[in-house]
Amino acid sequence: MISFFQPYVEYGGEWLPVLLDAMLKTALLSLSAFALALVFGLLLWLFQASNVPALRRFASLYVTVVRGVPLLAVLFLLYFGLPGLGVTFDAFTAAMLGLALCFAAQVAEVFRAGMMAIPKGQSEAALAVGFTPAQCFAFIVLPQVVRVVLSPMIVTFVSLLKDSSLASLITVDELVLTGRAMATEYFLPLQIYIAVGLCYFLIAWPFSLLSRRLAVR
Amino acid sequence: MNSLDPFFLILQGLLQGAGITAVVTLSALALGLALGFALSLVRQFSRSKVLHGLVDVYVEFFRNIPALSHLFILYFGLASLGFRLSSMGAAILGLGLIGAAVTCDIFRSGFKSLSPGQTEAAFAAGFTPMQTIFTILTPQAMRIALPSLGNFAVQLLKDTSVVSAIAAPEIMFYARSMVTSSFQTTLIYATAAGLYLVMSLPLMQAVRMLEIRYGRVK
Repeated sequence: MISFFQPYVEYGGEWLPVLLDAMLKTALLSLSAFALALVFGLLLWLFQASNVPALRRFASLYVTVVRGVPLLAVLFLLYFGLPGLGVTFDAFTAAMLGLALCFAAQVAEVFRAGMMAIPKGQSEAALAVGFTPAQCFAFIVLPQVVRVVLSPMIVTFVSLLKDSSLASLITVDELVLTGRAMATEYFLPLQIYIAVGLCYFLIAWPFSLLSRRLAVR
Repeated sequence: MNSLDPFFLILQGLLQGAGITAVVTLSALALGLALGFALSLVRQFSRSKVLHGLVDVYVEFFRNIPALSHLFILYFGLASLGFRLSSMGAAILGLGLIGAAVTCDIFRSGFKSLSPGQTEAAFAAGFTPMQTIFTILTPQAMRIALPSLGNFAVQLLKDTSVVSAIAAPEIMFYARSMVTSSFQTTLIYATAAGLYLVMSLPLMQAVRMLEIRYGRVK
């Protein structure tokens, strides 16, 4: 047991700044990918709700494909595959784009479920008392949707944060890749990978607690 | 030479890994369901605060740390202590342990959605606690949990692609090794993506049918 903790005492000072840097990178990647996923997801949801059949069909095809294809395949396609077709992204952009494309479907689903939780009668009543459709959406529907959607959105963010670890496999130097480099440097894979796991936990857990707190019952 | 030839060669290569993908998915699914169900019973029906705490710690630990991180700990980390797991063993164990945390939550929400009146009625009718749990509550909780469990299975099938990182020879592993020996990167990864899609479509269809049958979608 002593020998297990020994390396943390000995190298902790060297590891901490490196891991903190990598945590920052992971957080940056996850946040930017999530912001993009919100935009894509909102678009997708608008497509699903539109009355143009072609848009609806596109949205449903998109959701099916994204639900059936692993993120890793998407990342490899974007980073290693697209240059063959003349499109080149740097690793960070490819990871951000891949995460956003995959999580857009989940975001759209959360929006859809959130909208369904608001009874139609509310919009009808608002329109009847003279709200314009835009006012009705902005003042009546949206504030309630945000409340309902917040908790599942945070859950989605935690999933995305965890999946951002796959970016290490397309050479983004986030937590896992940094951990791999450290593991080869120090020959202490167990201690280092546990430290890496804890770093994720430190970011993810507060969000998980928050999402449970905000869950609308 | 037919222009489709390279595609079929690639598909043939990737299919070598499809069996392992299926084996890892099914084994991890079995482990995840069994352990997750046991954990949910402990969390839901035991009276021990300590056991509750342990299950909670387990679930939080596995749900807030990425699969890749767990796999590296199991595969590279434990080896440094002398516990050498095969890549397949680590893959199944890792995904199964994570899966148990997920299914524990799914089963629990199934149990929680049942009215407490059912337990009271069963006790009043002379059922023992064990009989109540297994013959009254579990079958109903299962029904409620089924669609979510189906979604979990779809997710698990896709997540097996991650175990290529610890060299388990599944689809993505073959894709990556084919890429190093040919220049058809785009075609190889697109075919791999298509193969996963083809494998998960029947599962997704089954989930839809479960959802319709058990009334989530009208």
